[in-house]
Amino acid sequence: MSLTAQRATAAPASDRETGAVSVLAVFAGDEAYGFPLSAVREILVPPPLTEVPRAPEHFLGVISVRGQIITLIDLPKMLHLEVEQAEPYGRILLVHNGDELVGVAVDRVIQVYRMKPEQIEYASAMGTELSDYVVGVGRVPSESSTDAEDMLILIDPVSLLGGMK
Amino acid sequence: MSDPRDNVQQEFLAEAHELVEALSRDLLLLDEAHHRNERIDPALINEIFRGVHTLKGIAGMFGYQHVGAVAHALEDLLDDLRLGRTVVGPQLLDVLFDSVERFERLLALDDPQSPEEAAGVQAYIAAVRSIGTEPAEEEDDPLEKYAIEPAVLSVLTEYEEHRLRACIREGLQLYRLRAAFDLTAIDDSIETLRDVASDDAEIITYLPSMEGGNEATIELVVLLASRVPEAELRAHFEGRYGTVEVIEERTHLPTLPPRLTSIPSAAVSVGPQPEDDPSQASTRSAANSVRVDIRKLDHLMNVVGELALVRSAVDRIVDRFKGESVHRQSLMDLDRIGRGFERQLSELRTGILDVRMVPLGQVFNKLARIVRQAARERDKQVRLVVTGADTEVDKLIVEELVDPLMHLVRNAIDHGIEPGDARTRVAKSAEGTLALNAYHKGSNVVIEVEDDGGGMDAHKLREAALSRGLLSADAGRELTRQEMLNLVFLPGLSTSSEITDLSGRGVGMDVVKTNILRMGGMISIASEQGTGTKITVTLPITLAIIRTLIVTIASRTFALPIAAVREAIPYVPKDVRTIQGREVITLRGETLAICDLARLFGFRGSSRAEGRFVVVGSVGNRELGFVVDRLIGQDDVIIKPLGKSLSSVRGFAGATDLGDQKVALVLDAPALFTEHFDGQDALRALETRV
Repeated sequence: MSLTAQRATAAPASDRETGAVSVLAVFAGDEAYGFPLSAVREILVPPPLTEVPRAPEHFLGVISVRGQIITLIDLPKMLHLEVEQAEPYGRILLVHNGDELVGVAVDRVIQVYRMKPEQIEYASAMGTELSDYVVGVGRVPSESSTDAEDMLILIDPVSLLGGMK
Repeated sequence: MSDPRDNVQQEFLAEAHELVEALSRDLLLLDEAHHRNERIDPALINEIFRGVHTLKGIAGMFGYQHVGAVAHALEDLLDDLRLGRTVVGPQLLDVLFDSVERFERLLALDDPQSPEEAAGVQAYIAAVRSIGTEPAEEEDDPLEKYAIEPAVLSVLTEYEEHRLRACIREGLQLYRLRAAFDLTAIDDSIETLRDVASDDAEIITYLPSMEGGNEATIELVVLLASRVPEAELRAHFEGRYGTVEVIEERTHLPTLPPRLTSIPSAAVSVGPQPEDDPSQASTRSAANSVRVDIRKLDHLMNVVGELALVRSAVDRIVDRFKGESVHRQSLMDLDRIGRGFERQLSELRTGILDVRMVPLGQVFNKLARIVRQAARERDKQVRLVVTGADTEVDKLIVEELVDPLMHLVRNAIDHGIEPGDARTRVAKSAEGTLALNAYHKGSNVVIEVEDDGGGMDAHKLREAALSRGLLSADAGRELTRQEMLNLVFLPGLSTSSEITDLSGRGVGMDVVKTNILRMGGMISIASEQGTGTKITVTLPITLAIIRTLIVTIASRTFALPIAAVREAIPYVPKDVRTIQGREVITLRGETLAICDLARLFGFRGSSRAEGRFVVVGSVGNRELGFVVDRLIGQDDVIIKPLGKSLSSVRGFAGATDLGDQKVALVLDAPALFTEHFDGQDALRALETRV
């Protein structure tokens, strides 16, 4: 098992006191997204993709990971955004969906942030139209400049993958 | 799976289900013997008793109170039965058969102690208890007539004593066999003796003899009862064991102990006493087999798949260096090792598949119970004829098959086979016949459910379809008889029992068809009015691995299960004609509908114009030509399901890794046929019903 997976299982315990969560930040389309690290099993370099004819367009197709057939989804499309996942995408996140693993195609992985509750604005409190799959927005120190902040769209993998049709 | 408590629980459930399955099987044997008025083998009753006893024991340990209570009541009843205190009759058989259903229900409960079940369990136990004992008619004790030592008689268990009396009443001759056994291997030797004896003689008991034997051996006196002439029995045992002597009827009466006790003295505890430890027999017979979770086999199969990938990676390295002369010898060695590896790998794959195989007899036993039950409910006489019960199929298929087959069997009895008087009126025997046949055909297994009942009325089916608006009047007129029969699979037609009772088939045939299709199988009907109906189900032997034809369509690779392929012919665009908007070609004088897969899948402009092929598919009694670009070759592939989110995409049975991490989709021929011939709507209707 990969290092990320070990961290994913180890992280929640140490975060328990502070209420902080580990978030994996990625770029897809033009936006930065955050996935709870505990939901991510692995990060892959994309293997060859096989498209599935007549599948809904937010499905990119299927890939084989060590003999297992994995469905690959297009994150921006899933969120009904106009932008598409750029081709070629740089990485695939393998995300737990119940017993199944699902692949999420992203451009690149930024880093893992430890986010405290006060860094997160929950969707319910923002009053704007956000997709059901979005938990809220997280603020993290900017990659480019030291005093600015970047915004992460925090994804709820359970409802994201559970809502796939 | 990781919680040890869960594991233990699973183990218990698996063992309990096995016991209930065995119980069901034994009850069918008992029922059959009873119906034929044959002598009921005491070993069979003992076997049933032991199974229930073991179930009672393990249910108690795992807190399955209700299961334990039911088993306890049954155990008492069976004890009465084996001791001759009650006899096999219809009421007793009914109660015993009910127990199978009841056990299965109780084992399926989330809460094994569920208070809601208590009332039902109590009622059932009362029913068990209500079967009174019928004491054997009092007569002179036959034992008194034989010269059996009181010392022997006094240590017989109640069961042994009962068997001894029963054997004498049946007119069997009693023998005494004296034989020496090796002390260290005595359990096995006695087991062998039982096997040797089983056909010719019944072993009543064995006791260590007072004389004979030394440090390493012990002499046993075995009391036998047999119908076989003395000389034959001597020939059978004397060479191998020791002396056989006849126990004569004696002329004057001995003084018997007033009441034979059932408590064995210390002297008897030499060999295994079945009464004392009923689980021992089953443990011994199961010693050579293990129970395996099917998921573990799936995991092994995946590992084999990964090994195949490793192997192809090694191949590529060999290829890369092939042009160079430097390491020629090493490359040749590597190539040879690679081929050996491949051979072993394919053996490993076959081996794992073999483990997944179970005989269809498991399903047939369940069906036999349904037959019995349905026949009694409908007050019809039905004879069940089973062939090919040892035909093996993948465990997963067996599980999925139970429901559809149960449905077909019920239908055949409810609506197919006529009541006795109706049958005699048309010069059929009053007893109807239901045949379950299974056999292998290529890489498929075929299961037939055939009855000699009234058959289906094709015209009534058409009328029903017309009146429910499932068929236009125009279309209805053009139907062949076979097409009318196939209407029974339409959703919405067979949901009304009133209509289908008339047509001779029950409800839910559409669901049966859907289930069979989902397993990659097909179902067809043949029916003659007045003579009977035959439903044929064809299934792949295994869901895990299938032989496929690899093709490309617009530069994409697909696999088509060979089971559905008849032949491949060159595609000649100018020969294509259009009938009612559908493309057809003529093949050996017959019209063949074709389906351009590139167009169906919406691949734009990339298909080749020249040199394409038509792969002629055959499913059930229909044929359809799939137009593809190139034929790559045949390959055995491990078929994997598409994820949950893609399972609603039509036309694919799954996907497979062709090695090198390249995935090919496996075409679902039955679904493509349905889509082509019956249209999207029919397919969607089928899907929404599942």
